[in-house]
Amino acid sequence: MLRTLHTVLKGGLAKNGVIGVNERNLTLINAHNPRALMHRVNDKVETKVLADAADIPNPALYGVVRNGRDLSKLEEMMAAGGDMGCVIKPAKGSQGKGVLVVDGPLMGGWRLANGQRVDAAAVRYHVTNILSGMYSLGGQPDAAMIEYRVRFDPVLERICFKGVPDVRVIVLSGVPAAAMVRLPTAASDGKANLHRGGVGVGVRINDGVTTSAMQGDRLIDRHPDTGEALGDIAIPHWDAILDMAARAYDVTGLGYVGVDIVLDGDRGPMLLELNGRPGLAIQIANRKGFREHLAAITALKIEKRDVATRVRFAKRLYETSFGVVSSDDEAAAGAVVTQLPNKTPAAAEAA
Amino acid sequence: MTSSVRQTLLIALLLIGGGLAIMATKVTRYDYPLTPGVEKTLWDFEVYMEFQGRDEPARIDLFLPTIMETRAVAGEQFYNGSFGMTLVADSVTGNRSAVWSYRYPSNKKVLRYAAEAEGERLATPLSESFNAIVAEDIPFEENVVKRQAFIVFLASLKRRSSDDVTFVDLALRSIFDGDKAAGEDADEIDALLDGSSSLTARLELARQTLAAQKIPARIANGVYLTGGGKRRADISNWLEYRLAEEDRRYFPSGDPKRFLTIWHGGEPLVRSRGVGEMDLQIGLQARSGAAVALADASSRADSPFLSLFSFGALPVTTQLVYKVLVTIPVGIMLLVFLRQFVGIETLGTFMPVLIGIAFRETALLNGVLLFTGLVVLGLALRFYLERLQLLLVPRLAVVLIFIVIAMAGVTNVLSDSNQSIGLSISLFPMVILTMTIERMSILWEEVSGSEAVKQGLGSLIVASLAYLAMTNQYVEFLMYHYPELLFVLMGICLLMGRYTGLRMSEAWRFRELARL
Repeated sequence: MLRTLHTVLKGGLAKNGVIGVNERNLTLINAHNPRALMHRVNDKVETKVLADAADIPNPALYGVVRNGRDLSKLEEMMAAGGDMGCVIKPAKGSQGKGVLVVDGPLMGGWRLANGQRVDAAAVRYHVTNILSGMYSLGGQPDAAMIEYRVRFDPVLERICFKGVPDVRVIVLSGVPAAAMVRLPTAASDGKANLHRGGVGVGVRINDGVTTSAMQGDRLIDRHPDTGEALGDIAIPHWDAILDMAARAYDVTGLGYVGVDIVLDGDRGPMLLELNGRPGLAIQIANRKGFREHLAAITALKIEKRDVATRVRFAKRLYETSFGVVSSDDEAAAGAVVTQLPNKTPAAAEAA
Repeated sequence: MTSSVRQTLLIALLLIGGGLAIMATKVTRYDYPLTPGVEKTLWDFEVYMEFQGRDEPARIDLFLPTIMETRAVAGEQFYNGSFGMTLVADSVTGNRSAVWSYRYPSNKKVLRYAAEAEGERLATPLSESFNAIVAEDIPFEENVVKRQAFIVFLASLKRRSSDDVTFVDLALRSIFDGDKAAGEDADEIDALLDGSSSLTARLELARQTLAAQKIPARIANGVYLTGGGKRRADISNWLEYRLAEEDRRYFPSGDPKRFLTIWHGGEPLVRSRGVGEMDLQIGLQARSGAAVALADASSRADSPFLSLFSFGALPVTTQLVYKVLVTIPVGIMLLVFLRQFVGIETLGTFMPVLIGIAFRETALLNGVLLFTGLVVLGLALRFYLERLQLLLVPRLAVVLIFIVIAMAGVTNVLSDSNQSIGLSISLFPMVILTMTIERMSILWEEVSGSEAVKQGLGSLIVASLAYLAMTNQYVEFLMYHYPELLFVLMGICLLMGRYTGLRMSEAWRFRELARL
């Protein structure tokens, strides 16, 4: 451990441009995210309204419980999901706290995603806790959202253990800067949060193919539960994902956001939520410090340009910063990409 | 450098510089001590003159102690009555006098001068005016007999001494305790002193003897600061000389531990003209106390600005509150450091410091045991309450009441077994404990038990360190007596607020990236 700390402090991290929490707070969040606009991402109901207005697909909202009176309509709202179940989550929650994934009705009660059966009273209690602010920042009163439960795309099923994987895209000044897929694990209790033990897999911005993976703060190559290799998987609908992520900037006006997108088997990519203070573990997943890459994006000053232009620049910049060969060139050379489909079901279908 | 960085730097440097400058002024100008427990004695010095006016122009000159770095004289007060008063400084001798004058004084008049002084020690260097002494030739030019006697005396001293040191030693012994050691020069000394045995005459002779040997010397007059004080102190005289670059003093009546030099030369302390007989009293009173209190008093009298940075004038109960309050920023700064630079995770932002403050009541070990015990008990209850499905605020209330009951139980059990811990518990902050328990239990459910324990331990470590910092006697002393250090702490926190480097914990977290 001492030897590791020695190499680290000797300048390895500084040399690799790794951004720490202090730097993120000052030079990314404070500099790019006006506090007056943060409510757009902190309140998920508001995010949804904005996304709807901009035609960014997102899980349908069955209802919002804002106070005790709305509680009587809770079961009705949950029933809107039918056999598909629903998701109950605090509107101002963070880090997946207080999220209840309901699999579907079961013997007068409900079955949760983790297999547990709960009755109406238990769900109601959970919603009451959400309302009283137990999961919100600073304990302020909150609202509970009941929304469509995503059934994730089978492409990720093989490498996924329970729960819903999602794609996190970091968008700086409207330019998708980096991405990773977050996979739930047994350790994370089916939730895709990295600091609960979820797995993060870096994704190349230019072509949406996964690269390297991490869990906790260690690098891994295979999923800890399924044992499947995590690299070289092409994420479907990649261009749509990048397009959504870039548009999230126009919708919120926040210059540094984490855009969380789920891949629904039926409805394609959907905006799950936006995060105004995205974490830094994505650097480990991508095996690279982001300082230079983010500085290059800021230097471009293209936040006023249209979405397509920004995505085009995003891909090009990514290739430069991360030193990858453009996929077009690769295709032209008849290289790696043609071999990729064999490794992923989605690509196999495409082939 | 962006403008926000520049502004932060500028403000931080101004705050730190200003705070340190005020502190430095207090230390150098007013002799504030830097460590607790320094005791110091200050002397109230007073000259009281009572006399009868004679209806003619009157003038009274009084020598005052010259204020200089090595001779701290503060809080000077003049009681002038109807007299006009001017201060006069002699640039050659370095003497300072007050001159009182009045055209036609009649009946009884009183003049007074009062000051407080720390006095000087034997080791105190001679004042700068000593350098102005000019070399003299053999004196008594007009009196052949005396001149001859002086030359003989000088020759005898030179013959019997090997160098300046032994010369001075011999001369002083011959002049001041004549008959024994210097028996053979007794006649010459008698002639030179005109048969007078007064101390001033002997001092003058000693001065002349040293001057003739090219050893600069002068007569100093002042008071000895010994004992507890006197209503009527005597003026003492002694000899100042410099031998081989070394400042020395010769006190004919033995070395005093402390003294106050008032003037130099052979003139009397008070010179008056046009007034009747004068009753002159020199009063001395020792005041001993904490060096800080004395420094506080003198700085407050001197500078209203500096008195803003002192709590000495407040009621004692308020002072006690501030004694604790001003240490809290030190704990806060430590917390900022541990969070931003080390990266210790805690429950709540400032909660560890609040816990640290609570440890004041219980002392560290007891506090940690108590805190841990109560949190464990509270967590157990909290996990059970989860089953009852209560609303948030009532649930918090139940936990809080449980904490009070647990505290009462601990107090009762432990006071039976004569443990002081039980009695110190009284003000242990139950609200903080309740919030700690709530936060930990949510963390436990939402993230993991290990994360909850990790943050709980982090809080406890920070709380302990903050407690140790806040109760350190040097920290308490410095913060309370130099509240201007709050500006310095503020400046440091401003600088830490612009730190964008990695935290130590992040060096570990991102260690895989360092190997790339």
